[in-house]
Amino acid sequence: MSAPGVVIPSTAAGTRLPRRRGGTLVSVCFGTPSAVVGTVLLASIVFVALFGTVIAPYDPREVVARPYLAPSAAHWLGTNDIGQDIFSEVLWGTRVSLLIGLIAATAAILVGTLVGVVASLAGGWADQVLMRFTDVVLTLPFLPLAIVLAAFLGPSFWNTALVIALVIWARPARVVRSQGLSICSRTYVEAAHALGGGFVHVLRHHVVPGVIPLALSQFILATSGAILTEASLAFLGLGDPIQKSWGTILYYAQARGAFLNGTWPWWVLPPGLLISATVLGFALVGRSLEGVLMPRLRQHGS
Amino acid sequence: MHWYLGRFGQYALVLLAALSLNFLLPRAMPGSPLRFLAGEDVGMLAPAQVAEIRARYGLDQGLGVQYLTYVRNMATGQWGFSYQLGKPVADAIRDRLPWTLLLVGSSLLIATIFGILVGALAAWRRGRGLDTASLTGAIVVDSLPTFWLGMILVAVFAVELRWLPIYGAMTSWGPRTGLPYVLDVLRHLVLPATTLTLASLSGTFLVMRYAMLDTLGQDYVRTARAKGLRERRVLVKHAVRNAMLPVSTVVFLNLGYLVGGATVVETVFSYPGVGTLLYQAVLNRDYPVLQGAFFILTVSVILANVIADLVYPILDPRVRGSGA
Repeated sequence: MSAPGVVIPSTAAGTRLPRRRGGTLVSVCFGTPSAVVGTVLLASIVFVALFGTVIAPYDPREVVARPYLAPSAAHWLGTNDIGQDIFSEVLWGTRVSLLIGLIAATAAILVGTLVGVVASLAGGWADQVLMRFTDVVLTLPFLPLAIVLAAFLGPSFWNTALVIALVIWARPARVVRSQGLSICSRTYVEAAHALGGGFVHVLRHHVVPGVIPLALSQFILATSGAILTEASLAFLGLGDPIQKSWGTILYYAQARGAFLNGTWPWWVLPPGLLISATVLGFALVGRSLEGVLMPRLRQHGS
Repeated sequence: MHWYLGRFGQYALVLLAALSLNFLLPRAMPGSPLRFLAGEDVGMLAPAQVAEIRARYGLDQGLGVQYLTYVRNMATGQWGFSYQLGKPVADAIRDRLPWTLLLVGSSLLIATIFGILVGALAAWRRGRGLDTASLTGAIVVDSLPTFWLGMILVAVFAVELRWLPIYGAMTSWGPRTGLPYVLDVLRHLVLPATTLTLASLSGTFLVMRYAMLDTLGQDYVRTARAKGLRERRVLVKHAVRNAMLPVSTVVFLNLGYLVGGATVVETVFSYPGVGTLLYQAVLNRDYPVLQGAFFILTVSVILANVIADLVYPILDPRVRGSGA
């Protein structure tokens, strides 16, 4: 699972591992050509998320022109079915899509990491119970599950983030647990136990620090997954109609005939391209992070 | 044997989880569960109908009794009634299921064939043009929202070029018998199946490539080469056949993902499968249908897993009897 161009400098990145945090960050963001592409994509998206509402020429919630206008100097991406400015909608939507993705991924990683480390350290029946439950969540078809939960909870910004977190925490939990098991079998953890270190002590001082790099790369994966899931849910009409995300814009485009009246090049293309660029950016930076923090992982893919 | 017990115990848990979730959701929400059991239009029902619904779900009894009633109803095919569609949920799903199976089945087949071919070739030509191009392609395609990919394909091939139909599974008032009917259905299948295939191709491709790299480094491949077999024969007979084993598990595990993908793809193309049913149920707040669709999709995923568990030992004699 390694990106092209990631393969060559693996030994170089490996030697860079010791505690030079600044150096690590630089090699994650700029170490390989694909990492540079990912960093540039993410930086641009974050910039738009932060300042999009200032750059936007109109308030996307207000009707500012006739409906279904083609792009013009006044409306760069034309107007939608009720005469709102699509360019402004897309700029505002950046923040909604990115925030839901980040919030859902943060919650999912916190829960997943907690479940993973507790299961690996506790072992026995606690491990059994936690992992059975994790596997159940992993086996359920996740998008239909998210749809059902979102439909019952009702469409809103926080509900969408909650639903996504509920369906994506299981994979990081599995991954973190297997890393936790490997840490728990090492001699220094045995020594900590032997010296009388309790459950919480070993958890805090040995297991949690050991899984943090992994949890970080899982977080990036989870964010891109969450952004895609949010887009799908919003596209199915489960997005917050007040705070439109990119997916919600696409839902209205599909429902209000963007294909039949030829408005799709400026109504459908831009939001989808932005979703793809964001997810691609997270994927590329995530791979780079994996390579730098865990050089051994790299050999699997290449 | 022990291994099978564990696996099937797991599937029983998944089934139980889906049932319990469907049971609890309408009852855990604020307000009367009637709104969720009968749909948003419950206010327009006659008192006699409301009383009938209350009786069918045992709403006047304790939660334990309600749960048993619920499980018994699900087991006997009484999945509730959709007042919006005017028919039982199970009937609505039975009408839609064949189309979803056709869409998911054909996409799975094509994605598997292509994934194996491209994966094997990429591994064989590791680091060359095809390898780099297909790896880059996999990362990019994985970043596209599936429904958006479908929208773009509709826009280009159906709306602008007019090569293929825009929506549906067959032409209204078109042929319903013989070869013309089959061709009509296939024409309608091309775009949704292409979308779903593209969206699920990378998983098979990446696993095949990795497995192939692994087998190419094995001693028996070196031996085959050393005894002077032609490269083609080494690849097909020795490397590809063995590399396909791990792929077979991925193929079935992909199914859960495909089922979710089918939901959005069907919606884009108004394809008359379970996914579109789910979408319409979301729009109409038709909760009985929503839950029925979720349940049948869960059952499908479990069945696919069971088939994978049964097929794998046949393909790979090494796991037979080892209980691994």
